[in-house]
Amino acid sequence: MEKHLKIKIKNGKKYFYKFTAIQRAQHITIATCVIVLVLTGMPLKFHNAFWAPYLYALFGGIKVAPVVHKLAGSVLMLLFMFHLIYIGYSIVVDMILPLKRKKQLRVVTVIKSLVTHPIMPSLKDVTDIIDLLKYYLFLTDKRPAGAKFTWKEKFDYWAPFWGIVIMVSTGIVMWQKEFVTQFLPGYVINFALIAHSDEAVLAALFLFIWHFYNVHFSTSVFPMGTVFITGYLPEHLMVEEHYEYYQKVMKAAGLEDEILPPDASAATASEKEPKTTRIISVSDLPPVS
Amino acid sequence: MFIFSLCAACLFFSMLLPSGSDAADIGNCLMCHKYPGLSRIDENGKFRLMYVNEDIFNNSVHAKVKCEGCHPDIQKIPHEPAKKVDCLTQCHIIEPSSEKKFSHKDVAESLAASVHAKVDKKGNPKSYPDDIPTCKNCHENPLYRPLSFFKRVRPGISDVALGRCRVCHKSDEFIFRFYNHVTTRLHKIRNPKNIAEVCARCHDDEKIVARHNLGTRAVFSYGETFHGKAARFLDERIPDCLDCHVKRGESVHQMLSYENPNSITHINNRGRICATTDCHPSATPQMANYKVHAEFNKEQSPLQYYFQVFFIVLTGGTLLPLMGLLFLDLFRRLFPNAVIKRSKSTNGKTS
Repeated sequence: MEKHLKIKIKNGKKYFYKFTAIQRAQHITIATCVIVLVLTGMPLKFHNAFWAPYLYALFGGIKVAPVVHKLAGSVLMLLFMFHLIYIGYSIVVDMILPLKRKKQLRVVTVIKSLVTHPIMPSLKDVTDIIDLLKYYLFLTDKRPAGAKFTWKEKFDYWAPFWGIVIMVSTGIVMWQKEFVTQFLPGYVINFALIAHSDEAVLAALFLFIWHFYNVHFSTSVFPMGTVFITGYLPEHLMVEEHYEYYQKVMKAAGLEDEILPPDASAATASEKEPKTTRIISVSDLPPVS
Repeated sequence: MFIFSLCAACLFFSMLLPSGSDAADIGNCLMCHKYPGLSRIDENGKFRLMYVNEDIFNNSVHAKVKCEGCHPDIQKIPHEPAKKVDCLTQCHIIEPSSEKKFSHKDVAESLAASVHAKVDKKGNPKSYPDDIPTCKNCHENPLYRPLSFFKRVRPGISDVALGRCRVCHKSDEFIFRFYNHVTTRLHKIRNPKNIAEVCARCHDDEKIVARHNLGTRAVFSYGETFHGKAARFLDERIPDCLDCHVKRGESVHQMLSYENPNSITHINNRGRICATTDCHPSATPQMANYKVHAEFNKEQSPLQYYFQVFFIVLTGGTLLPLMGLLFLDLFRRLFPNAVIKRSKSTNGKTS
């Protein structure tokens, strides 16, 4: 396993470790696949649009673009299978083996560990959404103190998780229609087409508006969030989005005295942010040891 | 009177100009009809253009047919208004295999036995006879569209191919004509997109679809399938209307209703449409039950309709709340320090 510092300090600024190299590699693969799939799929969905033939021609037109689409879909499918293995491996190494070492390996303890895993939806997500709405509606000046993964990140993970299941399964039905209709009636292809194309529009809008806004275009991270490349999250974003987890990490690192107040992100956004976003870049960050 | 004076003027000027007459123009019709402005308003107030583009006509499949072949009522120049062309007229050319005068009567017989016949199975005239297509509803005077693979992607006659013809045939005029005659039949005269557009003239006309109870706008629904979309993106290999609605090896004019047991689109035969060697050889009859012409509306395909509604609701139900939060977030960031009730711990001060 790679060894990482939880906090890196570079030029007096703190960066918090968030994503491992293998997680970042998976994210970049899925992002590339999804972008290629959207660019080669949408001209078919919106075939009457003026831009459709031009965008399709960019990927080789009707002879090549469908092959590119299937290739990207296949990579996505393999990635999903890898991810399932990765989840299984993580459960064994990070949950089952520690429980075994502590001699607490029972079905109940494993289920408890799974349910309380940071990526699993919890009651705190509901209260966080309510608190966030209060903040948005000027009822409070405090953002909810987020955990390691906020409800937005859990949504960003679980929505594509099930989205991929739908997209890959319906894609296979349409691609391998001769094989699939050996067992299923032909009109299954009609349903597959509806699900594939409509879910694709939902996924594309979700990712390119909601996800991109949260991780790139929001004033706190504009013009681009770098955590998906470096694996490290800047302190002002930790304070803004993950305050509860931020306090835990700082205390664990023995830096209680340096914990910023919860509204520090507002000050950072208005005063310090321009300087910070200029300084942060991949090359400025220390190499992952 | 105007037309006669125009013809007289044409006759005069034609004497001054070099003759551009073609072998088929023995009657010297182009003497007048070669002028782009030759036109008139007919008895119904409709603008009629009588100009014949010599270059286009000479590259058309009817280039060897004399003008009087299709317009037998015209016997003298200047002439009275011509009757409508009857495509079943015997032409002034000899069909080489039978050495008989050629006509399209066989095509008419095929058409009469097809779903596009003017009478129904019992011999009674169909309602709305004007909606039933005749030759000219689907066909113009088509241009030769020779195979292009000898010239890679460039259309036109290949010198390489002509060289092969010249081994036996000495007359270039003969070679040119028969090369075109043969090659143009080795593939589709129109690309799939154009075929669909021809059928769409009637089959996407909502009034025609309604009064003949056709159940679907056939070309619209075809356009929603991968085949239709690929045709739109100019794929030449993709199946069009004729590939599925006509039994392989038969005249496209013999298109039968899906209710006819001899039709390839009949429920018992449909499986053979997809399972041809060039398409989906391992397809089962089940695959052909894919609803190619589903419009996903409530009347025609309720299950698909509600399945689609589910996804619309899912999309709206997911994105609208998220977009709402996004705009609230943007708005909140405009006024980061504004609040109705400040919390006691920070008292609104930022450190």
